[in-house]
Amino acid sequence: MTKILLIDKLDNCVERWKAAGITVIGPVHRANISVYAAVEHASEFDFGLVLPDRSIKELFFPQTEPMLRYAIKKDTIDTIECMPPSGPRIIFGSRACDASGMAIDDPLFGWDYKDTYWFQRRNESVIVTIACIKADDFCMCTSLNMEPDSTKGSDVLLRPLENGKGWLVEELTDRGQEAFTQIAEFLQESADAPAQTAVVEKKFDLEASVAWLQKPENFDSRFWKEISMRCIGCASCTYLCPTCHCFDIQDEGDTYSGVRRKNWDSCSFALFTMHTSGHNPRSTQSARWRQRIMHKFNYFPGKFSVNSCSGCGRCSRQCPVDMGITETLQEISKLSL
Amino acid sequence: MSIEQQYQARAKELLSGGAVKMVIGYGKGTTGNRRRPIFISSPDDVGRLVLDDSCIINLSGYLVSEGLLSDEKRVAVFLRPEGIRAINILAAESQLDADQIVIFGFDVNDNELRALKGIHVEEFADVIGSIRENNPGFADKELLEKIEKMTAQERFAFWQEEFAKCIKCYACRQACPMCYCRRCIVDSNQPQWVNTSSHSLGNFEWNIVRAFHLSGRCVECGNCDRACPVNIPLRLINHKMAVEVLGAFDHVAGMSKTQEPVLASFKKDDSETFIL
Repeated sequence: MTKILLIDKLDNCVERWKAAGITVIGPVHRANISVYAAVEHASEFDFGLVLPDRSIKELFFPQTEPMLRYAIKKDTIDTIECMPPSGPRIIFGSRACDASGMAIDDPLFGWDYKDTYWFQRRNESVIVTIACIKADDFCMCTSLNMEPDSTKGSDVLLRPLENGKGWLVEELTDRGQEAFTQIAEFLQESADAPAQTAVVEKKFDLEASVAWLQKPENFDSRFWKEISMRCIGCASCTYLCPTCHCFDIQDEGDTYSGVRRKNWDSCSFALFTMHTSGHNPRSTQSARWRQRIMHKFNYFPGKFSVNSCSGCGRCSRQCPVDMGITETLQEISKLSL
Repeated sequence: MSIEQQYQARAKELLSGGAVKMVIGYGKGTTGNRRRPIFISSPDDVGRLVLDDSCIINLSGYLVSEGLLSDEKRVAVFLRPEGIRAINILAAESQLDADQIVIFGFDVNDNELRALKGIHVEEFADVIGSIRENNPGFADKELLEKIEKMTAQERFAFWQEEFAKCIKCYACRQACPMCYCRRCIVDSNQPQWVNTSSHSLGNFEWNIVRAFHLSGRCVECGNCDRACPVNIPLRLINHKMAVEVLGAFDHVAGMSKTQEPVLASFKKDDSETFIL
């Protein structure tokens, strides 16, 4: 006998959590797109999605947020620091790739300077992941040595029941346990079997690809130009990526007052590394695509011992010209044979 | 012989004889109905070229990639009528020499693929002319009518919701053959004309700036719309501007390579006195 949560009890849970002052967030449709967003009722959720179009990242690292307001006076500069809105949150119905993506970025945001914007949100959030029972052609978690039911970054793992009526509950952390204690009366014991998790085919040889990337001579390989020739240099892949974390700091306002903001930025843009002089060390799109791959599978693991990719596949799924990490690492896997 | 085979044979001939240095076409994509842009430089590789009704992307933007045409050699490209119009505009705006472009024209009507006869852009005048007669044509008539019926407030609310999704990835700009500026206005920061932040104001600024810059220049190929990862119906905006330009100036973009850009040209007898 194990603990289960029935779908028709979920609305009671949402109500209970909300009554306790918790914001309940999950996969929903908003204006012709699927996102993780706050809900009023459980009926708004769509658990049938392979995964939402937009990643969970923006709940921790929004596309733009104010850092401080400033006013420049005759003798002084007044600043008011801005912090993100505070309060407990439950993200119900994350996917394993999204949840693990947040855990992948923790060491980055905690390295040398501890990013209080990130960690305030991380500490106030409980991530409840639902194991995938279906995948699409772009899913690639298994190629990253993860699984559709990986627990990394999650506080609770739910396994869909075979009968489709609910989920098996596996509490993974103290925070997860606390959140589910609050809804204990809506859980029940059951011997219902969980459904088979999705079968995600391995698409490339990660170890061989990483070994190829680590060879200094391959930095100048012709491969980079060939693979990225059709790249149009937009930021669709980086902005939908749960682990891409680059940002820019911009002052908006006039000479006397304004707001300093933290905005997403992307290594795909020519402007990303443009120097004031006009010189650009990454002057071509191929150098920029190489950077993205090298960063994720060579530099990031070199520093934090983990690849900066959780296998969600959004980069390939949404690319206007059908590129992505999968194709690139597939081609590198072939080169390293 | 299928059109695909005919075009493969023509590509082989052009590449073998050195008549073109490259063929920009479509290849197989990740999934069954996805096609991706491919660049063929060797006659041995023409077998990779695919042509069917899934070939949708307008490839004309690749022609203005930095340096591609600067050696004055010819490049061949697979184009639908919208793409052919884009060549006319790029030529009229001095972005390329139309004589360097060899066109593999095709169109899809009712899921049926047909070849368009011609090599150089002026040979497609008839096909383009028929577009003018039907212009402005727009696929999603239902949504268009719905928006036209809205009050100004409702329309504002509609676009507010749509632009709220914008993440400023600039996929619309990068996918657009008409957005060829080496440095976009939003990337200029001395001075900073447009907010870089992706908040309500910044998103409105960006999308409105782009709409104005494309007025009288958009061929409605839909590249922006399809590229948008957050599904903003961007074509609606450009379509609306095309309708306005047609009404005000009797101008449909891309009719010939010598057609004057409507918002960048003037006549001494213009009725608007403020222009001179």
